[in-house]
Amino acid sequence: MITKFLEALYTKVFINIIIGNLQTTIYVEVCSKKEVEQSVRKSFDTTVMNPKMYEFMQTYIKESPFFYISILDKSRHQGAIPTCAVSEMNRFCDINSSEYRCFSKDWAYYTSEYDLTATKLEYRNVGIDFIFSPFVILANFFKDKIDNTLSMFVLVEDNYLSFTVFENSRLLYAKYLDMDNHKDDDNLMIDSPAYDDLSFEMEGIDLEEVSLEDDSMVFDDFANIEELDEGDTIDEFSEEQEVKPIVVKDVDVSHDGFNEDYQRFSLIQSSLNTFYKDPKYDSKFIEIIYIADGVGVSPDLKNYLEEEMFLSVYIRKIDLAISLCDLAKAEANEI
Amino acid sequence: MRYSYINPRKKSVFTKEIQLLFTFFSVTLFMLFSTYAFLIFKDQRFMQEMSDIKMQKEENRANIVKMNSEIATIEKQLLLSEKIFTKNSVLRDSINNLFDLVPSRITLSEAKIMENALILHGITPNKDVYNFMLQAPLRSIFHRTYSSFYPAQNGWLRFVSTNYIDNEEGLSSEE
Repeated sequence: MITKFLEALYTKVFINIIIGNLQTTIYVEVCSKKEVEQSVRKSFDTTVMNPKMYEFMQTYIKESPFFYISILDKSRHQGAIPTCAVSEMNRFCDINSSEYRCFSKDWAYYTSEYDLTATKLEYRNVGIDFIFSPFVILANFFKDKIDNTLSMFVLVEDNYLSFTVFENSRLLYAKYLDMDNHKDDDNLMIDSPAYDDLSFEMEGIDLEEVSLEDDSMVFDDFANIEELDEGDTIDEFSEEQEVKPIVVKDVDVSHDGFNEDYQRFSLIQSSLNTFYKDPKYDSKFIEIIYIADGVGVSPDLKNYLEEEMFLSVYIRKIDLAISLCDLAKAEANEI
Repeated sequence: MRYSYINPRKKSVFTKEIQLLFTFFSVTLFMLFSTYAFLIFKDQRFMQEMSDIKMQKEENRANIVKMNSEIATIEKQLLLSEKIFTKNSVLRDSINNLFDLVPSRITLSEAKIMENALILHGITPNKDVYNFMLQAPLRSIFHRTYSSFYPAQNGWLRFVSTNYIDNEEGLSSEE
């Protein structure tokens, strides 16, 4: 009673940490009992705790004894599973080395215990009060849609995607997708024996020996390769060569955006395929995708999804820091 | 609904800084109160000592008064004793003188010395010896002298000599 009374006299400070690809954003809200008195956002060019961040956080920590530090979980070994029964969880993940919470009776989200400890250890100077899963943010953000549709829901973060499929608030499938790992997977594929065979085969192809009479379907696309030898085409290339530096530069800029959105698209596509094909999941045909955009995706992603997968795409902007702060506030009020 | 993987740390108004502040203030207050209590105790003790000293002073004063009165009494007694000593000396001298007055042929059997009178009982061989050798000096000392004789068994005379010194004040008043 006395504690509640004293708590009411003080402002509450919510410090929210969002770790991006190359930088960390810290969003601070100083709240009185009913309103937000102050909100500050600052980005640091680091993904780990540094003295500047510590100093910035300390400035607000000192304002009130009731401060809460929240962080969005970035563990690669996190996810969500369509059950909340412990006995069934092992079908979807290694629950023994994971920490999990049930969102509802139907689904739970989990993360690696080791990564949780690592996060707590990294921020031991200031301490961490809440670690939230991006799946919770996604579920709360699209609560109005999740409750009454069968759709895909994707939360787009820097380098990460939280991919879920919900049917009337029942989770059917979820996966936390790491774009870096996806790249690594691609790189790994180059080193894999299958790729070696493929490259060996590629090395063995001699275009001179390829004839149009060959029936192989693989080389259908190369049917007009011989046309490349024609002088006009070469001339066109030589013309392009002259303006190459500028063109290449432009392509490079768009290439990154293209890459990221294409990566996102391919990740979504592969995840949807997994959902369709994996017998563990109750797969259903999905026509709609809702995207919570936390980074500012280009219209390309929408185009890819619409044109390649024939999905109805709805993109909603999300401020991850504010969403995280809202969760922290709700959590703090429940204590 | 709790969504966080971890539980928040317990928040308390009593942060380390406030705890330090409270400790500092409580120690300061404790020292202040203990000093205050010590001063009160000392003050009370001082007051008590003061009242004791006052009482002792009163007692001493009373004792001084008593002793002064005792000294006065003793001084009076001393004076009296000196007076008595003087009187006794005078009396002794008088008695010595008296016995010096008595000739060897007369034997005194009783002498009564009073304030203004001397009564002598004795034996004299005859009246003349008495009249010449004893009555004559007695007459010079006393104002009035009466003698009476009666014969003893051995032929001597027993005598009773009554001598008076008249009070000079009484005489002067009579005059």
